[in-house]
Amino acid sequence: MNEAKKAADYRSELKPIWCPGCGDFGFLNAMYKALEELQLDPANTVVCSGIGCSSRISGYVKAYSFNGIHGRVLPFASGVKMSRPETTVIAVGGDGDGFSIGAGHIGHAARKNINITYVVLDNNIYGLTKGQASPTTPLGVRTKTTYYGNMGTTFNPVRMLIAYKASFVARTFSGDPKHIQKILVEAVRHPGFAFIEVLSPCVTFRGQDQYKILRERVRYLDESYNPENEVEAFDIANDENMLALGVIYKKIRPTYDEIIQQNVISKAKAASNGVAKIDKLLEQFQP
Amino acid sequence: MSKVLIKGNEAVVRGALLAGCKNFFGYPITPASEIAEAAAYYFPLLGGTFLQAESEIGAINMVYGAASSPFRCMTASSSPGISLKMEGISYIAGAELPCVIIDIMRGGPGLGNIAPEQADYNQIVKGGGHGNYRLITLAPNSAQEMCDLTMLAFELSDKYRNPAVVLADGIIGQMMEPVEFPEPVQVIPERPWALKGSADSHNLVCSIELEPDRLEEHNRKLQEKYAGISRQEIRCETIHCEDAEHIFIGYGVVSRILHSVVESLRAEGIKAGLLRPITLFPFPAPQIEHFAASKKLRSFFVCELSAGQMVDDVRLAVNGRKPVHLHTRMGGNVPSVKEIVETFKASL
Ligand SMILES: Cc1ncc(C[n+]2csc(CCOP(=O)(O)OP(=O)(O)O)c2C)c(N)n1
Ligand code: SF4
Ligand SMILES: [Mg+2]
Repeated sequence: MNEAKKAADYRSELKPIWCPGCGDFGFLNAMYKALEELQLDPANTVVCSGIGCSSRISGYVKAYSFNGIHGRVLPFASGVKMSRPETTVIAVGGDGDGFSIGAGHIGHAARKNINITYVVLDNNIYGLTKGQASPTTPLGVRTKTTYYGNMGTTFNPVRMLIAYKASFVARTFSGDPKHIQKILVEAVRHPGFAFIEVLSPCVTFRGQDQYKILRERVRYLDESYNPENEVEAFDIANDENMLALGVIYKKIRPTYDEIIQQNVISKAKAASNGVAKIDKLLEQFQP
Repeated sequence: MSKVLIKGNEAVVRGALLAGCKNFFGYPITPASEIAEAAAYYFPLLGGTFLQAESEIGAINMVYGAASSPFRCMTASSSPGISLKMEGISYIAGAELPCVIIDIMRGGPGLGNIAPEQADYNQIVKGGGHGNYRLITLAPNSAQEMCDLTMLAFELSDKYRNPAVVLADGIIGQMMEPVEFPEPVQVIPERPWALKGSADSHNLVCSIELEPDRLEEHNRKLQEKYAGISRQEIRCETIHCEDAEHIFIGYGVVSRILHSVVESLRAEGIKAGLLRPITLFPFPAPQIEHFAASKKLRSFFVCELSAGQMVDDVRLAVNGRKPVHLHTRMGGNVPSVKEIVETFKASL
């Protein structure tokens, strides 16, 4: 029997080069603990990421890791999961990566219910490129590309994911690693597409006071809350003054894999009359 | 006007505004971000629009839309972002719309790094997107030219109804130098075909042509246009070339290093010259052919921050008449004068 793995066993040899105080540290430490709690085998755990400060995560976790293309983490992670369904796939990216350049991909991963976990470390800014506006930058905030104040209203990721019928939608906060750990473990165990928004301050380009501001704006969903009620989930998502932390929406439905198994593979088998050899199969198609 | 100490990237934005550009669509990427950042500041001040798109795909397609209007528009990015724009660029070239694209090249392939390279030569000068199109390509080697060639890009782009690219390496984008800004362009050419928001401006912008003969005809027309550009618009700088036995060829930051190489060889009594393409398409092939035919000339020496891409065009122009040597650096490394002099001497 292999010995039980410790959080430290999931640490890679790379040392994070985030700014001191960056919210992403809180998530990374909680992620190590969650991996320990799940006792995942690093060889069968795939951590995919896009490009951004947050996307550096894939380098810091001892697993099968991919640092991909800006905005394309979901197509990439879906590809991994399709070809190696037995692996645990965790995709991580930033708010720019996910909600700007990669926004077109989210609905499709969610609607297909691809069995992966997608974590967005949301700092309301482009960190890696040094401080330009992201889709979650609040209205009116001045950034390097919004001298006169941000022109667009703030994107609401949780509401969007519920609208896309993601089968698991949660929000958590870097200032509470224990909560992150709990949510991440639940998300990885969830059969289907699980989305987590992590409020993860960029202290360098959004200011040191982000933790304090967020602490005053978050509240925890209590135990009695039933995440299966879509209408209630929307109400909670719509509250942009007090940000609810916890699993906001959850609905178990067949995963893409299961659908493929039930609707495609079984039908294809029937259509090929049980012939499993390629040459025999090709003979059937000859004119 | 007096001189201002300014980054190449910011000089681009000021040049664009002096050329009357009204709309900017961008997406952050190092080492081009200062262009979007400066545009975000300056464009609204002059009643123009700055929009940070959701991606480079978004940005180039916004340019496609805006280019159909009577107003000048542009986008800027760096290598990986330019790769993303390729589809849109092909459509804009096919639809024959004017726009300016700035590419501040960084190290590749893939994410590579944010240090300077010149490895986008092929994707910009030779295509990159699908179909038989060409991009007017200008290669600045100073902050001053970042302004001047951006203005020229707008002029040529309108004149030929074709996208024009300012292709600069990361150093030229990031470097600060004194720049003297020219007078603003007073008259921007009319665009009779443009969308004006009135009943008399009905027009269809598209790049589709289902009928093979008509698409071939469209392609031939485009090729004629490119041939005209090749006849009319070549720009290149030559220094000490007339009596040269060895001509060094390089663009962008490399041309400045080669200039020092040439001066130091001249000081030793070696007859060296510099040929700097300012337009990459149209390529200064006739100028190179002229020197290749000279009895005095013994060799060409090309230096690039890539595995050697422009050198193909040099070899085509030289056509075997003289040896063409190549010195390359990649990954963000920039050659020193000493290093080039040594490789050159070893080639003798
Ligand atoms: C195609 C392409 N465009 C632009 C970039 C430059 N770029 C790298 S990361 C990034 C955005 C980072 O913001 P976010 O995704 O929110 O991550 P953060 O750094 O804030 O964690 C951008 C624009 C790139 N790498 N590739
Ligand atoms: S720039 Fe912001 S997001 Fe990036 S490491 Fe620093 S604090 Fe974190
Ligand atoms: Mg971010």
